[in-house]
Amino acid sequence: MTIIASEYSGSKAKSTDDCLSCHEDKDLVMDSDGSKKSMFVNPELYKKSAHSIAECTDCHLNYKAEELPHSADKKLENCRTCHEDSKGLEKSVHAKTQCIDCHGSHYTKKVSELKNEGDANCMSCHKKKEIAKFSSTIHGKKGVKCNDCHGDGHNVKNISRNQITEMCGKCHSESKMNFKGSIHHTVFKGGGKKTPVCTDCHGVHNTISSKHSIQSEACLNCHLDEKMFPGTETGSAKFVEQYKTSIHASIKKGEMESAGCTDCHGDHMIDSPDDPASSTKRARLIETCGKCHADVVANFKKSKHGVELLKNNEKAPTCSDCHGEHSIKSALLSDGASKLVMADKCLDCHKDGKIPHKNFKGEEELITGYKNSVHYQALVEGNESAPTCSDCHGAHEMELAENPDSKISKKNIANTCGQSDCHGKQLTNFEGSIHEKGVNAGNQDAPTCNNCHGNHGIVSKDLENKLQKSRDLIQLCTNCHESVEMIERNELPTKVSETYKESFHGLATRGGLKEAANCESCHGYHNVRPSSDSLSTIHKNNLPQTCGNCHPGATEILITSKIHLTDLKEDSPWVFWITRFYIILIFGLIGFMLLHNIQDYRKKKKSNAKNEN
Amino acid sequence: MRKMKIDDDKYLRMTLNERVQHFLLLSSFIILVITGFWLKYPEAWWVRWITVLIGENAFNARSLIHRIAAVAMILTSVYHIIYLAASPRGRKLFIDFLPKRSDLTEFGNSMKYLFGNSAEKPRFGRFSYIEKMEYWAVVWGTVIMGATGFILWFKDYFFKYISNTGMEIASAIHFYEAILASLAILVWHFYFVFLNPDVYPVNKAWIRGYLTRQQLEHEHPKWLEEIENKEPVNLEPENNASEALSEIMIIEPKETKTETETETETETETNKDKADNKKNEPETSEIKSEEDNEPERKPVIKNNDEVSDSKNEDNV
Repeated sequence: MTIIASEYSGSKAKSTDDCLSCHEDKDLVMDSDGSKKSMFVNPELYKKSAHSIAECTDCHLNYKAEELPHSADKKLENCRTCHEDSKGLEKSVHAKTQCIDCHGSHYTKKVSELKNEGDANCMSCHKKKEIAKFSSTIHGKKGVKCNDCHGDGHNVKNISRNQITEMCGKCHSESKMNFKGSIHHTVFKGGGKKTPVCTDCHGVHNTISSKHSIQSEACLNCHLDEKMFPGTETGSAKFVEQYKTSIHASIKKGEMESAGCTDCHGDHMIDSPDDPASSTKRARLIETCGKCHADVVANFKKSKHGVELLKNNEKAPTCSDCHGEHSIKSALLSDGASKLVMADKCLDCHKDGKIPHKNFKGEEELITGYKNSVHYQALVEGNESAPTCSDCHGAHEMELAENPDSKISKKNIANTCGQSDCHGKQLTNFEGSIHEKGVNAGNQDAPTCNNCHGNHGIVSKDLENKLQKSRDLIQLCTNCHESVEMIERNELPTKVSETYKESFHGLATRGGLKEAANCESCHGYHNVRPSSDSLSTIHKNNLPQTCGNCHPGATEILITSKIHLTDLKEDSPWVFWITRFYIILIFGLIGFMLLHNIQDYRKKKKSNAKNEN
Repeated sequence: MRKMKIDDDKYLRMTLNERVQHFLLLSSFIILVITGFWLKYPEAWWVRWITVLIGENAFNARSLIHRIAAVAMILTSVYHIIYLAASPRGRKLFIDFLPKRSDLTEFGNSMKYLFGNSAEKPRFGRFSYIEKMEYWAVVWGTVIMGATGFILWFKDYFFKYISNTGMEIASAIHFYEAILASLAILVWHFYFVFLNPDVYPVNKAWIRGYLTRQQLEHEHPKWLEEIENKEPVNLEPENNASEALSEIMIIEPKETKTETETETETETETNKDKADNKKNEPETSEIKSEEDNEPERKPVIKNNDEVSDSKNEDNV
């Protein structure tokens, strides 16, 4: 219901009650520039308010009760006429804010009431989105109030960048302490205007809880700025940018990167990259990476690389030397070149005997020989299952061959080469062979894969050239089976090499017949077994088949006698005596012929000379 | 059969047919020796030269060449047997090659002359113990080498019957027999054909077919005497000439044919002349008489021989 002005009879009331007699009407409105403004004053609330002791006219000056509106020149009494103690208000950010904006007009609140009311009062003016969210932030939820940061009562103030650290530190004292030791704070104190303080990373009012508060975005906002971090060196924007392509950035845990900036660099206490105590410095890197990659680092610490690193050997590699820094890639996210890249990485240190190889045996055995190997060539040609360094040596658990646990120790090499999708078939053949038995018995003379095939420079000797292949193989076997030292030490059969070389097969191979049988034709290669072993290719039951591979007519008759006639007199008395007979015959007969002819020559010369005379 | 004496200074030693046989034998033999020892000593310096000359695959050709040469030699041997059996001259040749008791005495005398005190140089007939040894060594060698060679060649077949030891035996025999044969040829045959002061630098009989009178006087005085003193047998010379010609035609290329034709013609002509002058005696009787007369004639001839020797030297 609207008060109609004409109905107003006027009054000379001066008391509050007089005013309220009209203004207690809820429907009392006034036309003001076309809109209707409520003139209602709740008398109950008013009487409860702090100002119940004050009369309306104490504040509403120049009011004439009989006129409508009551005053053409209405004026509010300055609150400070009464509230003289409200000091510092002029200096506060609220200097231009009217008292009633916070304290209310007719229902003025007491300080205690205002405190109870809390942030809602502030929010009634501070409606910016960012601030509005405050109540839902960790601070809001945990009961942090506006005044906890901005101050009480009339001393409300803005907080300058310089003060923020201290302000947050009031509660977050540990973080403050950490931050004060950080590179960020050091630079800030030195006058760096753009260096971050708490709010730059955590936000101001919309502080986010836990990890989300420190998204890498916060760091990258500054660190990707090429103006701030020029160049391409470590620390430059370009250097940091590589992070975006890294495995750490690509794989997400929820919304977060699997490893964000702070996971490695630390948060508040972030050190100067030059500080030796920095979490990303060599000395501490395995610890830093180990936070997530605990197993890997545990293995690494046991490895030769790790042991040397822990001894502070400057040449020893740490995580980043192989994996890279910001650009770190997963071996699983192979882009085809990663295995090649790895080889290059290893060779950076291990090439040309730069880090001397214990078994260095000249050009062929150089680790760089790997680049000529079939393995490397296969990688180059795009076979991604071909092995790079780590496939044989292990990655983090890399060990010297002398270590029995090493993947490349004598006993383990066969298993390493025979890894499921590599040379498994060959491994199965090798198992149970006389060579493997020797290796397993700890005989250092017994050959395993690398003794025949070579180490790094496993080269496919021109396999098309069957003759050369055959001759190389014979050379390989005779390296041991011809060596007196080896034969004596291991009680190997004697004279196998020389008897072979004088045999039909041996002569043909020496001469150049590529089809002729060599060692492996009869003995097999990986599954070499003694003739006493029923699985052996040269066991008497298997010989007809073995020989039959080349000689279809071969029967049991063929192999009733020894093949390598190492002791002719015992193994084949016939051949022995025939040989003996012929040698005597040759020496006797040819000797006689020589004598006969020498004598004949002398006699004839003599008689010719006589005749001439 | 042709006459042995072609003219006063030419005595028929090997007919063209025999020379072709000899050539086939020697060429196959040399090839066999080279290709054989090539296998046994594959790293020898001369093998390297062959490899340089023929190429890297020379070794593969080696076994083929060896077998071809072996077949050639065996075919030659077979032909030789046919020749010995089928032609009159062949039969005579065979008979002359057969070892006789006189060879033993000649050998004994030779030993006495060479190593003992005897100043008496033994006088040899058509084939001395030296040549007979050579001939039968070749026969023996061919049989042994052929047999063992075939076993080694067809090893896959023989594996059914022969053990590895059998192969080793065949191989050992083949190898040592080869050394023996090669050394025998080198020391024995080559000495008498090349180094022998009587024929030095070479006895050209295996090329030209005839020996000079002087060579006969030195090497085969008894045979020379036979030819000179006794009238050589001449069985139907015309037929023989044509027979020889036909044999030549099979073996020899055309160019040489004309030469040989003329040669044989002249041979036959001269033979005719001689035959006219001398009595014709049947072959068998000649051999008989040779054997019968030998011991009686010996001292007489020897004197004559020495005289004629010195005469010839003077004339030369």
